[in-house]
Amino acid sequence: MALTMLMIHPLVLAKLEVGQHLYWQIGGLKLHGQVFLTSWFVIGTLLLVSFLATRNIQRIPSGLQNFMEYALEFIRDLAKNQIGEKEYRPWVPFVGTLFLFIFVSNWSGALIPWKLIHLPSGELAAPTNDINTTVALALLTSLAYFYAGFSNRGLGYFAKYIEPTPILLPINILEDFTKPLSLSFRLFGNILADELVVAVLVLLVPLFVPLPVMVLGLFTSAIQALIFATLAAAYIGEAIEGHGGEEHE
Amino acid sequence: MMNFVWLLAVEAAETVEEGGGLFDLDATLPLMAVQFVLLAVALNALFYKPLGKVLDERDGYISANQVDAAERLAKAEAIAKQYQQELGETRRQAQAVIAEAQQEAQKIAAQTVAAAQQEAQAQREQVQRELDEQKSQAMATLEQQVDGLSRQILDKLLGSLAA
Repeated sequence: MALTMLMIHPLVLAKLEVGQHLYWQIGGLKLHGQVFLTSWFVIGTLLLVSFLATRNIQRIPSGLQNFMEYALEFIRDLAKNQIGEKEYRPWVPFVGTLFLFIFVSNWSGALIPWKLIHLPSGELAAPTNDINTTVALALLTSLAYFYAGFSNRGLGYFAKYIEPTPILLPINILEDFTKPLSLSFRLFGNILADELVVAVLVLLVPLFVPLPVMVLGLFTSAIQALIFATLAAAYIGEAIEGHGGEEHE
Repeated sequence: MMNFVWLLAVEAAETVEEGGGLFDLDATLPLMAVQFVLLAVALNALFYKPLGKVLDERDGYISANQVDAAERLAKAEAIAKQYQQELGETRRQAQAVIAEAQQEAQKIAAQTVAAAQQEAQAQREQVQRELDEQKSQAMATLEQQVDGLSRQILDKLLGSLAA
Protein backbone atom coordinates (compact mmCIF):
# COMPACT_ATOMS: atom_id res chain seq x y z
CA MET A 1 0.00 0.00 0.00
CA ALA A 2 1.02 3.54 -0.59
CA LEU A 3 0.74 4.27 3.08
CA THR A 4 3.45 1.84 4.13
CA MET A 5 5.79 3.23 1.54
CA LEU A 6 5.36 6.70 2.87
CA MET A 7 5.96 5.58 6.39
CA ILE A 8 9.54 4.60 5.96
CA HIS A 9 10.65 8.19 5.55
CA PRO A 10 8.77 10.00 8.31
CA LEU A 11 10.80 8.27 10.96
CA VAL A 12 13.87 9.86 9.49
CA LEU A 13 12.33 13.21 8.52
CA ALA A 14 10.41 14.11 11.63
CA LYS A 15 11.00 13.47 15.27
CA LEU A 16 8.75 14.74 18.01
CA GLU A 17 10.37 16.51 20.90
CA VAL A 18 8.22 17.96 23.62
CA GLY A 19 9.37 19.53 26.83
CA GLN A 20 13.03 19.53 25.94
CA HIS A 21 14.80 22.84 26.20
CA LEU A 22 18.09 24.37 25.23
CA TYR A 23 19.26 25.50 28.64
CA TRP A 24 21.40 28.56 29.09
CA GLN A 25 22.98 29.27 32.47
CA ILE A 26 23.32 32.90 33.46
CA GLY A 27 24.58 33.24 37.02
CA GLY A 28 22.41 30.83 38.94
CA LEU A 29 19.52 31.23 36.52
CA LYS A 30 18.34 28.75 33.96
CA LEU A 31 16.95 30.09 30.70
CA HIS A 32 15.23 28.48 27.76
CA GLY A 33 17.56 29.44 24.96
CA GLN A 34 15.35 28.36 22.07
CA VAL A 35 12.56 30.63 23.27
CA PHE A 36 14.84 33.62 23.39
CA LEU A 37 16.35 32.90 20.00
CA THR A 38 12.98 32.89 18.26
CA SER A 39 11.66 35.77 20.36
CA TRP A 40 14.65 37.85 19.29
CA PHE A 41 13.84 36.99 15.73
CA VAL A 42 10.25 38.09 16.29
CA ILE A 43 11.28 41.28 18.06
CA GLY A 44 13.84 42.02 15.38
CA THR A 45 11.23 41.52 12.66
CA LEU A 46 8.78 43.83 14.39
CA LEU A 47 11.37 46.53 14.96
CA LEU A 48 12.71 46.25 11.44
CA VAL A 49 9.27 46.45 9.84
CA SER A 50 8.31 49.38 12.07
CA PHE A 51 11.53 51.14 11.21
CA LEU A 52 11.08 50.60 7.48
CA ALA A 53 7.44 51.69 7.65
CA THR A 54 8.16 54.94 9.50
CA ARG A 55 11.45 55.80 7.82
CA ASN A 56 9.91 58.05 5.22
CA ILE A 57 6.43 59.03 6.36
CA GLN A 58 4.12 60.41 3.70
CA ARG A 59 0.73 62.03 3.99
CA ILE A 60 -0.54 59.70 1.28
CA PRO A 61 0.71 56.34 2.47
CA SER A 62 1.91 53.59 0.21
CA GLY A 63 3.50 50.20 0.52
CA LEU A 64 4.73 49.23 3.94
CA GLN A 65 3.58 52.45 5.59
CA ASN A 66 0.09 51.80 4.33
CA PHE A 67 0.16 48.26 5.65
CA MET A 68 1.43 49.28 9.07
CA GLU A 69 -1.14 52.08 9.23
CA TYR A 70 -3.78 49.47 8.57
CA ALA A 71 -2.33 47.38 11.41
CA LEU A 72 -2.28 50.40 13.71
CA GLU A 73 -5.87 51.29 12.90
CA PHE A 74 -6.88 47.70 13.54
CA ILE A 75 -5.17 47.82 16.95
CA ARG A 76 -6.67 51.20 17.74
CA ASP A 77 -10.15 49.96 16.90
CA LEU A 78 -9.59 46.92 19.05
CA ALA A 79 -8.47 49.03 22.01
CA LYS A 80 -11.20 51.60 21.40
CA ASN A 81 -13.93 48.99 21.34
CA GLN A 82 -12.82 47.36 24.56
CA ILE A 83 -11.52 50.29 26.61
CA GLY A 84 -13.64 53.13 25.34
CA GLU A 85 -13.15 56.24 23.27
CA LYS A 86 -11.91 58.35 26.17
CA GLU A 87 -9.27 56.19 27.80
CA TYR A 88 -7.92 53.94 25.10
CA ARG A 89 -5.01 56.00 23.81
CA PRO A 90 -2.39 55.31 26.49
CA TRP A 91 -3.15 51.57 26.23
CA VAL A 92 -2.65 51.26 22.49
CA PRO A 93 1.08 50.45 22.80
CA PHE A 94 0.51 47.69 25.35
CA VAL A 95 -2.45 46.04 23.64
CA GLY A 96 -0.90 46.52 20.23
CA THR A 97 2.43 45.03 21.24
CA LEU A 98 0.61 42.07 22.78
CA PHE A 99 -1.23 41.48 19.52
CA LEU A 100 1.75 42.01 17.23
CA PHE A 101 4.18 39.98 19.34
CA ILE A 102 1.83 37.02 19.74
CA PHE A 103 0.70 37.18 16.12
CA VAL A 104 4.19 37.33 14.66
CA SER A 105 5.37 34.66 17.10
CA ASN A 106 2.56 32.29 16.17
CA TRP A 107 2.93 32.82 12.46
CA SER A 108 6.69 32.53 12.59
CA GLY A 109 6.21 29.22 14.37
CA ALA A 110 3.76 28.08 11.71
CA LEU A 111 5.46 29.44 8.60
CA ILE A 112 9.21 29.30 9.21
CA PRO A 113 10.77 25.84 9.19
CA TRP A 114 12.64 26.40 12.42
CA LYS A 115 13.16 22.68 12.84
CA LEU A 116 15.71 22.67 10.05
CA ILE A 117 18.09 24.51 12.38
CA HIS A 118 19.44 21.91 14.74
CA LEU A 119 20.11 22.81 18.32
CA PRO A 120 22.09 20.70 20.77
CA SER A 121 18.90 20.17 22.74
CA GLY A 122 15.28 21.11 22.20
CA GLU A 123 14.13 22.71 18.98
CA LEU A 124 13.20 26.14 17.77
CA ALA A 125 9.48 26.93 17.70
CA ALA A 126 7.13 29.83 18.27
CA PRO A 127 8.01 31.64 21.52
CA THR A 128 4.36 31.36 22.47
CA ASN A 129 4.54 27.60 22.69
CA ASP A 130 6.62 27.94 25.84
CA ILE A 131 4.61 28.36 29.04
CA ASN A 132 7.10 30.94 30.31
CA THR A 133 6.28 33.36 27.53
CA THR A 134 2.52 33.06 27.86
CA VAL A 135 2.62 33.35 31.65
CA ALA A 136 4.87 36.39 31.34
CA LEU A 137 2.41 38.04 28.96
CA ALA A 138 -0.58 37.09 31.12
CA LEU A 139 1.06 38.42 34.30
CA LEU A 140 1.92 41.65 32.52
CA THR A 141 -1.73 41.91 31.54
CA SER A 142 -2.75 41.45 35.17
CA LEU A 143 -0.30 44.14 36.24
CA ALA A 144 -1.62 46.38 33.49
CA TYR A 145 -5.22 46.15 34.54
CA PHE A 146 -4.39 46.57 38.21
CA TYR A 147 -2.40 49.65 37.30
CA ALA A 148 -5.26 50.90 35.12
CA GLY A 149 -7.74 50.38 37.95
CA PHE A 150 -5.66 52.05 40.64
CA SER A 151 -4.51 54.96 38.55
CA ASN A 152 -8.06 55.73 37.44
CA ARG A 153 -10.05 55.04 40.58
CA GLY A 154 -7.49 55.03 43.39
CA LEU A 155 -8.41 52.84 46.33
CA GLY A 156 -11.98 52.87 45.09
CA TYR A 157 -10.80 50.11 42.81
CA PHE A 158 -11.24 47.69 45.71
CA ALA A 159 -14.92 48.48 45.67
CA LYS A 160 -15.27 46.33 42.59
CA TYR A 161 -14.61 43.25 44.74
CA ILE A 162 -17.86 43.73 46.60
CA GLU A 163 -19.89 44.61 43.55
CA PRO A 164 -22.68 43.84 42.98
CA THR A 165 -22.92 42.20 46.44
CA PRO A 166 -20.29 41.36 49.08
CA ILE A 167 -21.31 37.72 48.72
CA LEU A 168 -19.38 37.59 45.47
CA LEU A 169 -16.15 38.68 47.19
CA PRO A 170 -14.45 35.25 46.96
CA ILE A 171 -15.41 34.84 43.32
CA ASN A 172 -14.20 38.33 42.49
CA ILE A 173 -10.86 37.64 44.13
CA LEU A 174 -10.64 34.29 42.43
CA GLU A 175 -11.18 36.03 39.12
CA ASP A 176 -7.89 37.88 39.47
CA PHE A 177 -6.17 34.50 39.51
CA THR A 178 -8.22 32.83 36.83
CA LYS A 179 -7.75 35.66 34.36
CA PRO A 180 -3.97 35.28 33.89
CA LEU A 181 -4.29 31.52 34.22
CA SER A 182 -6.86 31.24 31.46
CA LEU A 183 -5.04 33.77 29.27
CA SER A 184 -1.70 31.99 29.49
CA PHE A 185 -3.02 28.45 29.18
CA ARG A 186 -5.34 29.27 26.32
CA LEU A 187 -2.50 30.67 24.26
CA PHE A 188 0.06 28.09 25.30
CA GLY A 189 -2.31 25.18 24.77
CA ASN A 190 -3.54 26.29 21.39
CA ILE A 191 -0.12 26.94 19.93
CA LEU A 192 1.51 23.86 21.40
CA ALA A 193 -1.40 21.66 20.36
CA ASP A 194 -1.31 23.04 16.85
CA GLU A 195 2.40 22.40 16.50
CA LEU A 196 2.02 18.92 17.97
CA VAL A 197 -0.83 18.02 15.63
CA VAL A 198 1.19 19.19 12.65
CA ALA A 199 4.25 17.33 13.88
CA VAL A 200 2.33 14.08 14.45
CA LEU A 201 0.67 14.33 11.05
CA VAL A 202 4.00 14.99 9.41
CA LEU A 203 5.33 11.97 11.24
CA LEU A 204 2.53 9.79 9.88
CA VAL A 205 2.04 11.24 6.37
CA PRO A 206 4.67 13.74 5.36
CA LEU A 207 3.12 14.98 2.12
CA PHE A 208 0.02 17.14 1.56
CA VAL A 209 -2.09 15.65 4.35
CA PRO A 210 -0.77 18.04 7.03
CA LEU A 211 -1.39 21.05 4.79
CA PRO A 212 -5.06 21.66 5.76
CA VAL A 213 -4.09 21.35 9.41
CA MET A 214 -1.27 23.83 8.85
CA VAL A 215 -3.69 26.28 7.23
CA LEU A 216 -6.05 25.77 10.13
CA GLY A 217 -3.06 26.37 12.41
CA LEU A 218 -2.44 29.74 10.75
CA PHE A 219 -6.06 30.62 11.35
CA THR A 220 -6.08 29.59 15.02
CA SER A 221 -2.76 31.36 15.54
CA ALA A 222 -4.20 34.63 14.30
CA ILE A 223 -7.38 34.11 16.31
CA GLN A 224 -5.39 33.40 19.48
CA ALA A 225 -3.41 36.61 19.08
CA LEU A 226 -6.65 38.51 18.59
CA ILE A 227 -8.28 36.82 21.60
CA PHE A 228 -5.34 37.54 23.89
CA ALA A 229 -5.17 41.21 22.89
CA THR A 230 -8.94 41.64 23.01
CA LEU A 231 -9.25 40.04 26.43
CA ALA A 232 -6.34 42.07 27.79
CA ALA A 233 -7.99 45.24 26.51
CA ALA A 234 -11.35 44.12 27.90
CA TYR A 235 -9.83 43.52 31.36
CA ILE A 236 -8.18 46.93 31.27
CA GLY A 237 -11.39 48.58 30.13
CA GLU A 238 -13.32 46.82 32.85
CA ALA A 239 -10.83 47.93 35.50
CA ILE A 240 -11.08 51.52 34.27
CA GLU A 241 -14.84 51.70 34.03
CA GLY A 242 -15.68 49.53 36.97
CA HIS A 243 -18.69 47.69 35.67
CA GLY A 244 -18.58 44.23 37.12
CA GLY A 245 -19.26 42.77 33.69
CA GLU A 246 -17.38 39.65 32.66
CA GLU A 247 -16.34 39.37 29.08
CA HIS A 248 -15.28 35.99 27.85
CA GLU A 249 -15.39 34.44 24.45
CA MET B 1 2.96 -0.97 10.98
CA MET B 2 0.33 1.65 11.70
CA ASN B 3 0.30 0.82 15.39
CA PHE B 4 4.04 0.85 15.51
CA VAL B 5 4.28 4.40 14.21
CA TRP B 6 1.51 5.52 16.52
CA LEU B 7 3.35 4.10 19.50
CA LEU B 8 6.47 5.88 18.38
CA ALA B 9 4.59 9.15 18.22
CA VAL B 10 3.08 8.68 21.65
CA GLU B 11 6.40 7.66 23.05
CA ALA B 12 8.04 10.70 21.58
CA ALA B 13 5.38 12.91 23.06
CA GLU B 14 5.95 11.36 26.45
CA THR B 15 9.64 12.10 26.69
CA VAL B 16 8.69 15.00 28.92
CA GLU B 17 10.25 13.94 32.13
CA GLU B 18 13.95 14.38 31.66
CA GLY B 19 15.11 17.90 32.47
CA GLY B 20 12.26 20.35 32.53
CA GLY B 21 9.21 19.32 30.59
CA LEU B 22 6.28 21.31 29.36
CA PHE B 23 5.56 23.31 32.51
CA ASP B 24 9.10 24.28 33.27
CA LEU B 25 8.88 27.77 34.73
CA ASP B 26 12.23 29.42 35.31
CA ALA B 27 14.05 32.70 34.77
CA THR B 28 12.78 32.73 31.21
CA LEU B 29 9.52 34.15 32.54
CA PRO B 30 10.72 37.42 34.11
CA LEU B 31 13.27 37.98 31.37
CA MET B 32 10.60 37.50 28.75
CA ALA B 33 8.39 39.97 30.59
CA VAL B 34 11.20 42.53 30.67
CA GLN B 35 11.92 41.87 27.01
CA PHE B 36 8.26 42.38 26.18
CA VAL B 37 8.06 45.68 28.06
CA LEU B 38 11.19 46.86 26.26
CA LEU B 39 9.62 45.84 22.96
CA ALA B 40 6.47 47.78 23.84
CA VAL B 41 8.55 50.87 24.66
CA ALA B 42 10.60 50.53 21.49
CA LEU B 43 7.55 49.99 19.31
CA ASN B 44 5.88 52.95 20.98
CA ALA B 45 8.73 55.19 19.96
CA LEU B 46 9.22 53.62 16.55
CA PHE B 47 5.73 52.67 15.45
CA TYR B 48 2.71 53.77 17.49
CA LYS B 49 3.74 57.37 18.09
CA PRO B 50 4.93 58.42 14.62
CA LEU B 51 2.25 56.55 12.71
CA GLY B 52 -0.43 57.55 15.22
CA LYS B 53 0.60 61.16 14.75
CA VAL B 54 0.35 60.76 11.00
CA LEU B 55 -3.11 59.22 11.30
CA ASP B 56 -4.33 62.02 13.56
CA GLU B 57 -2.80 64.68 11.37
CA ARG B 58 -4.39 63.15 8.32
CA ASP B 59 -7.75 63.03 10.09
CA GLY B 60 -7.37 66.71 10.91
CA TYR B 61 -6.30 67.52 7.38
CA ILE B 62 -9.20 65.63 5.88
CA SER B 63 -11.82 67.09 8.17
CA ALA B 64 -10.43 70.60 7.65
CA ASN B 65 -10.51 70.06 3.92
CA GLN B 66 -14.00 68.70 4.15
CA VAL B 67 -15.21 71.76 6.07
CA ASP B 68 -13.50 73.98 3.55
CA ALA B 69 -15.03 72.09 0.66
CA ALA B 70 -18.47 72.19 2.25
CA GLU B 71 -18.10 75.93 2.68
CA ARG B 72 -17.09 76.34 -0.91
CA LEU B 73 -19.94 74.17 -2.06
CA ALA B 74 -22.41 76.27 -0.07
CA LYS B 75 -20.89 79.39 -1.59
CA ALA B 76 -21.10 77.98 -5.08
CA GLU B 77 -24.69 76.99 -4.54
CA ALA B 78 -25.53 80.47 -3.26
CA ILE B 79 -23.88 82.00 -6.29
CA ALA B 80 -25.76 79.65 -8.61
CA LYS B 81 -28.99 80.58 -6.91
CA GLN B 82 -28.22 84.26 -7.21
CA TYR B 83 -27.37 83.76 -10.84
CA GLN B 84 -30.66 81.98 -11.41
CA GLN B 85 -32.49 84.79 -9.69
CA GLU B 86 -30.73 87.42 -11.73
CA LEU B 87 -31.31 85.43 -14.85
CA GLY B 88 -35.03 85.26 -14.13
CA GLU B 89 -35.20 88.93 -13.35
CA THR B 90 -33.33 89.84 -16.48
CA ARG B 91 -35.56 87.62 -18.53
CA ARG B 92 -38.60 89.29 -17.05
CA GLN B 93 -37.14 92.70 -17.75
CA ALA B 94 -36.33 91.72 -21.29
CA GLN B 95 -39.87 90.52 -21.80
CA ALA B 96 -41.22 93.76 -20.40
CA VAL B 97 -38.96 95.74 -22.73
CA ILE B 98 -40.07 93.64 -25.66
CA ALA B 99 -43.73 94.08 -24.76
CA GLU B 100 -43.23 97.80 -24.38
CA ALA B 101 -41.41 98.05 -27.67
CA GLN B 102 -44.11 96.05 -29.40
CA GLN B 103 -46.79 98.28 -27.96
CA GLU B 104 -44.92 101.36 -28.98
CA ALA B 105 -44.30 99.98 -32.44
CA GLN B 106 -47.98 99.15 -32.78
CA LYS B 107 -48.88 102.64 -31.66
CA ILE B 108 -46.46 104.18 -34.08
CA ALA B 109 -47.71 101.98 -36.87
CA ALA B 110 -51.29 102.89 -36.09
CA GLN B 111 -50.39 106.53 -35.98
CA THR B 112 -48.51 106.35 -39.22
CA VAL B 113 -51.29 104.47 -40.90
CA ALA B 114 -53.83 107.01 -39.64
CA ALA B 115 -51.70 109.90 -40.78
CA ALA B 116 -51.14 108.35 -44.16
CA GLN B 117 -54.84 107.67 -44.55
CA GLN B 118 -55.59 111.23 -43.56
CA GLU B 119 -53.09 112.58 -46.03
CA ALA B 120 -54.40 110.34 -48.74
CA GLN B 121 -57.89 111.53 -47.96
CA ALA B 122 -56.76 115.13 -48.07
CA GLN B 123 -54.93 114.64 -51.32
CA ARG B 124 -57.91 112.92 -52.84
CA GLU B 125 -60.17 115.71 -51.79
CA GLN B 126 -57.79 118.27 -53.17
CA VAL B 127 -57.51 116.42 -56.43
CA GLN B 128 -61.28 116.15 -56.57
CA ARG B 129 -61.56 119.82 -55.93
CA GLU B 130 -59.03 120.66 -58.66
CA LEU B 131 -60.77 118.28 -60.94
CA ASP B 132 -64.10 119.96 -60.22
CA GLU B 133 -62.57 123.36 -60.76
CA GLN B 134 -60.99 122.38 -64.03
CA LYS B 135 -64.22 120.79 -65.09
CA SER B 136 -66.17 123.93 -64.33
CA GLN B 137 -63.47 125.97 -66.05
CA ALA B 138 -63.60 123.69 -69.04
CA MET B 139 -67.38 123.89 -68.98
CA ALA B 140 -67.16 127.65 -68.82
CA THR B 141 -64.74 127.88 -71.75
CA LEU B 142 -66.78 125.32 -73.58
CA GLU B 143 -69.89 127.39 -72.96
CA GLN B 144 -68.08 130.48 -74.20
CA GLN B 145 -66.94 128.59 -77.25
CA VAL B 146 -70.45 127.23 -77.71
CA ASP B 147 -71.73 130.79 -77.43
CA GLY B 148 -69.15 132.00 -79.96
CA LEU B 149 -69.79 129.14 -82.29
CA SER B 150 -73.53 129.48 -82.01
CA ARG B 151 -73.19 133.21 -82.71
CA GLN B 152 -70.95 132.43 -85.69
CA ILE B 153 -73.43 129.83 -86.85
CA LEU B 154 -76.18 132.35 -86.30
CA ASP B 155 -74.20 135.01 -88.11
CA LYS B 156 -73.49 132.67 -90.99
CA LEU B 157 -77.10 131.61 -91.16
CA LEU B 158 -78.31 135.17 -90.92
CA GLY B 159 -75.67 136.29 -93.36
CA SER B 160 -76.76 133.72 -95.91
CA LEU B 161 -80.29 134.66 -95.34
CA ALA B 162 -79.50 138.26 -95.70
CA ALA B 163 -77.50 137.69 -98.76
